[in-house]
Amino acid sequence: MIAVIGAGPAGLSAAATAAERGEKVLLIDSSPRLGGQYWRHLPSNWNDDRSLHYDFSKAQALFDRVLTNPLITRHSNAHVWQAEKNDGVFTLFVVRDGVEEKVIADKVILATGAYDRSIPFPGWTLPGVMTPGAAQAMLKSHGVLVGKRVVVAGTGPFILPVAAGLADSGAEIVGLYEANNPIRWLLNLHGFILNPSKIAEALYYMKKLRKHRISIRFGKSVDSTSKGFATVNGKRVDCDVVAVGWGFVPDLSLAGILGAQLKVDGDGTVVVAVDSHQETSVPGLFAAGESTGIGGSTLSMIEGVIAAGGKGKFARWRAQVFARGLQRVYPVPTNWQAKLNDQTIICRCEEVTLGDICSSVDELGAENGRTAKLFTRAGMGLCQGRVCGRNVSEIVAAKRAEKVHDSERMGGAQRPTAGPISLGELGDGLQKKF
Amino acid sequence: MQTADAIVIGAGIVGASCALALTNAGLKVLVLDRGPVAGGTTGAGEGNILVSDKDPGPELTLALRSRDLWFEMQADVGDSFELEAKGGIVVARLDDAPLKAFASKQRSAEVDAIEVGDKELHELEPHLTRDITSGILYPQDSQCQPMLAAAHVLQTVRQRGGEVVTGATVTSIKTVDGKVVGVETSKGSYSSPIVVNATGTWAGEIAQMAGSHLPIAPRKGFILVTAPAPKLIHHKVYDSDYVANVASSDADLQTSTVVEGTRAGTILIGASRERIGFDGRMNVDILRRLAAQATSLFPILRDIQLLRAYRGFRPYAPDHLPVIGEDALVSGLWHSAGHEGAGIGLAPGSAHLITQQITGVTPFMDSTPFSPRRFQVGVA
Amino acid sequence: MTQPAASITFTFNDEKVSAVPGQTIAAALFSANQKVLRKTRMGGEDRSIFCGIGICWDCVVTVNGISNQRACIIEVVDSMVVQS
Repeated sequence: MIAVIGAGPAGLSAAATAAERGEKVLLIDSSPRLGGQYWRHLPSNWNDDRSLHYDFSKAQALFDRVLTNPLITRHSNAHVWQAEKNDGVFTLFVVRDGVEEKVIADKVILATGAYDRSIPFPGWTLPGVMTPGAAQAMLKSHGVLVGKRVVVAGTGPFILPVAAGLADSGAEIVGLYEANNPIRWLLNLHGFILNPSKIAEALYYMKKLRKHRISIRFGKSVDSTSKGFATVNGKRVDCDVVAVGWGFVPDLSLAGILGAQLKVDGDGTVVVAVDSHQETSVPGLFAAGESTGIGGSTLSMIEGVIAAGGKGKFARWRAQVFARGLQRVYPVPTNWQAKLNDQTIICRCEEVTLGDICSSVDELGAENGRTAKLFTRAGMGLCQGRVCGRNVSEIVAAKRAEKVHDSERMGGAQRPTAGPISLGELGDGLQKKF
Repeated sequence: MQTADAIVIGAGIVGASCALALTNAGLKVLVLDRGPVAGGTTGAGEGNILVSDKDPGPELTLALRSRDLWFEMQADVGDSFELEAKGGIVVARLDDAPLKAFASKQRSAEVDAIEVGDKELHELEPHLTRDITSGILYPQDSQCQPMLAAAHVLQTVRQRGGEVVTGATVTSIKTVDGKVVGVETSKGSYSSPIVVNATGTWAGEIAQMAGSHLPIAPRKGFILVTAPAPKLIHHKVYDSDYVANVASSDADLQTSTVVEGTRAGTILIGASRERIGFDGRMNVDILRRLAAQATSLFPILRDIQLLRAYRGFRPYAPDHLPVIGEDALVSGLWHSAGHEGAGIGLAPGSAHLITQQITGVTPFMDSTPFSPRRFQVGVA
Repeated sequence: MTQPAASITFTFNDEKVSAVPGQTIAAALFSANQKVLRKTRMGGEDRSIFCGIGICWDCVVTVNGISNQRACIIEVVDSMVVQS
């Protein structure tokens, strides 16, 4: 049996392809509905017209293939908290609706996706400040508009559909700020030439933004936020929600637990290393989609197909060229630390400030993100450093006028558990003879 | 070449305490570590400062003195490492007679060991399972945050003229006529007539570099950390029956599993002396046993989430006693290592003992049982 | 798109809130204009949703007595008791 973990574009493609090739598939996903983050949609009781989606027909086609194939079993509302590989067989420990069960698989395809990368700034912990993904998820999954007057900022193509979707649903976009300069688009000309459909997609969102009279302000970003306003390049902008995102971070916990080789991508993002078949360094463990490098839904679907044994190597190359181009177009500005002050919270969970981290370096001799974490608790909280880990490493390195070592970046992506489990369920595994 | 009165290899809590004691005795100290401060076993410790788990004997004598020295060190360095005399409670589910007998032996060795009955026990720990009706309270058992302790102690060493060089891997120990003269590291050479080996699990390697030997080996242990919760557990709580049942027949495993709250709100569940081999991987079964044990003691923990688990390698010697004293084969080479699960608790006591020996002061206790000589002379 | 009736109710800090079946706790509370979901342990600061997809754990609430539950991914069930 093949276990596919994640039901976004990569996981759905992998599950459908594998089942159509005659394999038995178990599709495990943490959400109640298929689609992952990219194809989030409303529950069936909403009569969703899918107007918030650019290409929902692709999603619907995959949903149909997955839902009608008798070889595919679905575990929704389920997450894998721990995994092992012994004697060539994978054991996945899955928590579904709060109850733990054991799954045995011969092959595992990780399609665990990514989440917004966040950079701290003064005021980023205030209610109303969130990632573009949060604003998007509330709208696409629950029909809830997070605010009336919204600032959307950060970098990357994702902020455009978020602004467009919010405006379509009745929010006033009081500012749309792209930190990078549009001249950088020239860095991905070849990507667009190879992937003309991406031009159509860009024009689709541009048209929507024009319809709502929203213009993109380039080279600007949010300096700080206070209750009721954001400060953008020194100017006050009144708003009730600020959505800021700086690209994406893949969640590699399971790959790390199973011992797969990780690597550092060009922009410092840690990803899973895979071969041309999407197989990781652990035989039988495959990865597809954002966990192998941030590349968007098209690339994710192709990788999902290949991971399941299907074809598409040329299409993958073409989409990878585009993805790498985007990395060059939308770097995170290097000066983000200049906006912080000693009181700025860096680790949201444990409320660790920049001042705390700096004194762990100056006074206690912290030399990298790991020691700063041990001294300050930054990254030890509920999210286990998923939000602050990379930022803490970069702050400590900058303070010591060093670069973050690749080994530290990869170490920071490793976690001993991939998701929550209660102590009661964990202990009950003894009686269940897991 | 830089010179020092004494070089301490190892920037964990044992090395840091030693560096502070030597500095306070007037020596100019240099601390070397191949990694960062608290990067080894100290960084994986719970911060146990215990007397409850020790039989009367030299280790208990050292532990009692060391426990008091922890509070003296706090007075010296500052209240910066969450030191707290929270007290320990040992409980037995089936038969509490061995527990009471053990406590009575300990009392004769000046350990505060107070028998508590049903009502008192549940006043001390309101969420403890009602199945347990008696226990022993050890008010002396204490707790610190070991990484912060090592870092603040080393900061004090620096302020008093010592030096701490991290990222410096010792590549050789230089000797002349069987006497230590200095060390060579990846960051340069340092000369000193005294080298203290405080490298814990890795102490055997350093002894070998100097042409001697020490049988220190690693023993793995896991700690579970829960999500932050309101204060549910007030002491360190150990279950002796469980340990006797699960772990082995070895007597020193009697008080092995510890459940306790921390200042940060997380709950730590440790198995302080579990024998589970030398493999570095996560062992889900061990996590389950620890969780089952903790939730049977405190049923309220069933709904608390596991946040993470971590492992460390404790350094241990074949006779389970620490190695504190001068090498029998290389003069000027001193060892403070092999403290097994008790390195945090025994660190300042060991530092005191070794400093007294180095500076020629009569030691506060007979140090013979800890001497490295026991593994070096008269053994095949 | 048509919003179904908010046919179920739960309590948040002892106040009654209505929700559409299938909505998460956070979505229902945002609809009721309740954006502050909790106060932090140390600083007592207000917090709300941040990542919105279960990664950052900033929106955690106590649900039926069980702490550290993510409001952004847990769906409301009728008569649920939610506390900051």
